[in-house]
Amino acid sequence: MSMHPITLKVNGKPHTLLVKSNELLVNVLRDKLFLTGTKYGCGIAECGACTIMKDKRSIMSCLVPAVVADGWEITTSEGLSKGDKLSPVQEAFVDLAAIQCGFCTPGMVVTATALLHENPNPDEDFIRDYLRGNFCRCTGYVAMSKAVLAAAAKMKEEAQ
Amino acid sequence: MNQMNESVIGKNIPRSDGHAKVTGTMVYPSDVIIPGMMYGAVLRSPHPHAEIVSVDTSEAERMGAVCLTYADINPIMYNERSVSIPAATYRDRTVLPSKARHFGEPLMAVAADTEELAHKAVKAIKIEYKVLEAVYDPDEAMKEGAPQLYENIYLGDNKLTVKNNIGVVRNIDEGDCAGGFARADRIFEHTFDLERIYHNQLETKCAVCKPEPDGSLTVWATAQSIHANRQLLARILNMPLSKLNVVRLPFGGAFGSSIQVNTVTPICACLALKAGRPVKLTSAREEDFYSHQKYPARFTVKMGVTNDGVITAAHVKALIDFGAHQVQPLPFMGCTAGWFASLYKYDGNIRFDGTAVYTNKTPCCAMQGYGNPQINFAIESMIDIICEEMRFSAVDFRLKNYRGIGDEFWGQGPTIRSIIKSCGVEQSLVEGRKMTDFENRQRPEDRTGDIRRGLGLARGFHTSGTAGPKEGEVIDYSSALIKINEDGSVDLVTPVTDHGGGTWDALKKITAETLQVPFDMVGLAPAATTNTGYDVCTHATRGVYCGGAAVYHVAMKVKERLLEYAGRLMAEHAYNLEVARRDELGQGVVQVKHFPSKFMTIGDIAKQAQIMSWGTIAYTDSYRQRNCPPCFTTHFVEVEIDTRTGVITVPKVLIFGDCGVALNPDLVKGQLIGSFNRGFGYTVFETMPLNEKTGELMNKGLLTDYKTPTSAEMPKIEDVEVILCDTYEPSGPYGAKGIGEAALASVQAAIANAVYNAVGIRFYKLPITPEVLLAALKKKEQEAAK
Amino acid sequence: MNTKILENEFEYSKPGSLEEVLETLATKQNVRIFAGGTDLIVKLKLGALPDMEHMLDINGVEELGKIETRADGLEIFAGAKLWSIESDRRVEENYPALREAIQAMASISVRNMATLGGNFCNASPVADAVGPVMCYGGKVRMQSKRGAREVNAVDFFLAPGVSVLEKGELLTSVYLPAPKAHTGHAFVKMGRVKSDIAKISITAVLEREGDRIASCRLAMGSVAARPLFLKAIGEGLAGKAMTEALAQETAQNISDFIKPIGDNRTTAEYRTDVAKVIARDALVSAWKNSGGTL
Repeated sequence: MSMHPITLKVNGKPHTLLVKSNELLVNVLRDKLFLTGTKYGCGIAECGACTIMKDKRSIMSCLVPAVVADGWEITTSEGLSKGDKLSPVQEAFVDLAAIQCGFCTPGMVVTATALLHENPNPDEDFIRDYLRGNFCRCTGYVAMSKAVLAAAAKMKEEAQ
Repeated sequence: MNQMNESVIGKNIPRSDGHAKVTGTMVYPSDVIIPGMMYGAVLRSPHPHAEIVSVDTSEAERMGAVCLTYADINPIMYNERSVSIPAATYRDRTVLPSKARHFGEPLMAVAADTEELAHKAVKAIKIEYKVLEAVYDPDEAMKEGAPQLYENIYLGDNKLTVKNNIGVVRNIDEGDCAGGFARADRIFEHTFDLERIYHNQLETKCAVCKPEPDGSLTVWATAQSIHANRQLLARILNMPLSKLNVVRLPFGGAFGSSIQVNTVTPICACLALKAGRPVKLTSAREEDFYSHQKYPARFTVKMGVTNDGVITAAHVKALIDFGAHQVQPLPFMGCTAGWFASLYKYDGNIRFDGTAVYTNKTPCCAMQGYGNPQINFAIESMIDIICEEMRFSAVDFRLKNYRGIGDEFWGQGPTIRSIIKSCGVEQSLVEGRKMTDFENRQRPEDRTGDIRRGLGLARGFHTSGTAGPKEGEVIDYSSALIKINEDGSVDLVTPVTDHGGGTWDALKKITAETLQVPFDMVGLAPAATTNTGYDVCTHATRGVYCGGAAVYHVAMKVKERLLEYAGRLMAEHAYNLEVARRDELGQGVVQVKHFPSKFMTIGDIAKQAQIMSWGTIAYTDSYRQRNCPPCFTTHFVEVEIDTRTGVITVPKVLIFGDCGVALNPDLVKGQLIGSFNRGFGYTVFETMPLNEKTGELMNKGLLTDYKTPTSAEMPKIEDVEVILCDTYEPSGPYGAKGIGEAALASVQAAIANAVYNAVGIRFYKLPITPEVLLAALKKKEQEAAK
Repeated sequence: MNTKILENEFEYSKPGSLEEVLETLATKQNVRIFAGGTDLIVKLKLGALPDMEHMLDINGVEELGKIETRADGLEIFAGAKLWSIESDRRVEENYPALREAIQAMASISVRNMATLGGNFCNASPVADAVGPVMCYGGKVRMQSKRGAREVNAVDFFLAPGVSVLEKGELLTSVYLPAPKAHTGHAFVKMGRVKSDIAKISITAVLEREGDRIASCRLAMGSVAARPLFLKAIGEGLAGKAMTEALAQETAQNISDFIKPIGDNRTTAEYRTDVAKVIARDALVSAWKNSGGTL
């Protein structure tokens, strides 16, 4: 079993870690860096609870050995806000009641953030399709779609 | 009450825990990390039915693992669910069994320094099994000679002998059914079948247990009731309650799966005590599937109807296959009977014959509705059948027969009943009929083409809480502690848990409104079993109605003390004073009635009370509601069916919800829409067949093969309309009732009735998957061709 | 099975050149390629690869992540992420059925990780992206220390999970020849939900000559032990005038021809029944977007 030194930049902060080749990124984030916003839900990329962002694209950390992530810069739900100031997506999720139990929320807001990076002017169909890999048992997704539309509008307003 | 500031009741306020939830900083049980903690892993049965002949844990122990087997545990028998009174509680299980009764049942457990080592140690345990024949079908299980799961179990303190795997029989007979049927012009009888489904709460069940230096144990666990966990753990561990502190946490969904103490929690506690170190035990998804599932049900429903549209009698026979352990099918059947009995009047002639049977499958427990979605599907399908066959208006027939204001409602089976005082049924049915032009919908035989739409209707309800004027089989009260701080802020301490529906914010609102302080000035204190009074559980849609009532009661007592102290300070009689919110001051005040310029801020009053050493303005108490008002829902669902593939989509849905006064309307609507999503899953998608050779789920506990409708399958924003009824529940805090479970009750039947309206085929069994629907369409076509 | 952690222990390496990758493949025992990980890690978690000793990460080889225009087509290298393929203009313009098939796969987060090479190497009979590659006349290129070779995509699969890929061999790229003018494309998939492994899928790529089908290639997923290329049925359409009746007749032939099994996703009967629906829809849709009218 090989041990590997890796460097990982998470939410702008560099970390150097020694990991075994079979350690998963989701578990390293949670158990070693105490970033527990990234959740375990199914372990096989069916639920999206472990979604993080790399190069402005969403990926599922339950299928990433940490050693593979050597040199990566990633963003987790904890890194979307600046201090106390929530990102437009986060703010819209709170304001439009797109949250219930909240366990899917970190993965959902990360995916929604990647969505708006890819397409700052999404229509509802685009949003519904984009979020299809993020499972939520509570909300029924309607309020989330509203929140992403609202965040898009707000970001456009702020950019002007 | 307050002219200057808008009331927080009924106002949409962004949820207080929103910030923590969107930033991922909210701590759920699975996020709890304790320095020096070990990781637990469970050895689960590879057989559906087997005796453990011998166990060898030596190799696992050599690896450094702490092992827990049947020999280590206190063999006390218990039921994981403890909301019923002890005399009405069946007991058939121990922390770990000496005999496996379903595939995936926890048999042994280990704790080790890493999760990886724990799992390796589990693999190193050697067990010899004597494999027994298993039985999965409830009809087979009741036959003479079928494999027997148990010889003896307990009801309360009485030892019972189990015969033919029959766990519970519950029969209820009221009025004169024979007479009612004799008066009917038509008799209808059909059998309805509902499969098991899985809660699929996103956070798998988890517990973290930490032995403390003083000999106590601190527990962070997935729990709908912290006190239920504490009391059961104390019994199992033989520890004083004061040594067991269960911490209240949010959890990643439960839907009823954590009303009972989760199976993993006592295991984790025993491991921690044996190891003398903190232990964390998180279920993997493939384990959680075998933890608990929703009760399946088979109902044979018989109804008598007169030509002028009166139901004269109804008889339901129920067969419940509840699996390998009882998580209380007794109250489940009582409640199911109650939901059936309370939907319509039936001229008072009601009979329910329920049998619940042990099988070698995962134990079943509550899942949003405790039998209500199941029986509602049967009854509301039956109503649709009657209306179709007798050409009654589906709306008028319901209006003629439903139980409404002044009628009796069974909130928790036959022993908990109260009188309905608020009711949005008429508003829902009449407005919905108009909005959907329901009476002019096309008949199924007039619909043609490959793509067919259909419109369906069903109504339902659930109780708010489990308390009636008279105490019954179920325990129901809540507690609260409220104190006013010396700056005018308020601490609210409640044992009530929040599923995410917004219960905590509702309790904060009740506190803020009663004491007239700004919402933000009410803080929700961390809480645990050692510093809160008892609350039975956030189940039965009782968080706001019962938990909120306790908060209201205590807040009123606090207000009393506040006004008394203010009276002394302001040289006024307390009865001449009132509280009022002054947001411009950032807090509430006590003012002279009709003379608001004479006031003191609440903070000043508390500060002065402190300076004068009068004491803290605080109060704690328990409170029991004396009603269980139904919260009503009605669903108008439009489906679209591709008759070539059997695929059902939902282009449009109209939902009516009657929760009394909605304390936070957006959150109520969110619950109704989320429930629609789950009901859509239950009706069309969710199924979990078993491999009958091995007793294992065909999906092996993986989400790959457990599909629920995603964002892509849900109707669009503008096609989902939710209307909250204009009702006021006089017994509820600020007019509120619950909504949580009611929100699901009528979804299934509404979809199935819409399917009937689209293609003219009645489905008596769920789910109506594309495979099922296409096969039925083919059959219909073949029959038509003959 | 354990979806929370990886219980296997293994070595890991991430070479910077193709030569080193091939060297590792040739010298180490029980090596598995990590490209996107979306199949590999799931298999490890499910306990399907108890013997894996070495995980070979090919993401260090820059050229393996590329999508290159060739004089006569497009070469998609093994490590290219599905997302980069579906968002590639050349793919959108020339191979829309491949784009649709990729977009129908799993979720965006998975597609940001997964690769086309992986979809081939996994050799699942269900693989969505395989049908379009077969229908576009695609080739699979492989390399080992012994040298390079190429096979037609239709000849790549042998059995569930088994391809012609030999020990020590790396799938380096999938090559797609340039499509001809008046080509029509369609990919139709049925799943339980949109983000799902297919219950059944079909690809149709045809070339039109006036009101006739000049040539047609059809492939199906999830109806046989490997991705099914419907050679004879496709070739039988050549030269025929396209009509609704022809589409339905062909669809019926396909439905009669396939011998699917039932599994966790659907039944054999359902697959047979809806095969004729999606086959008809795919043919009509491909015909229409080739510029044909019905």
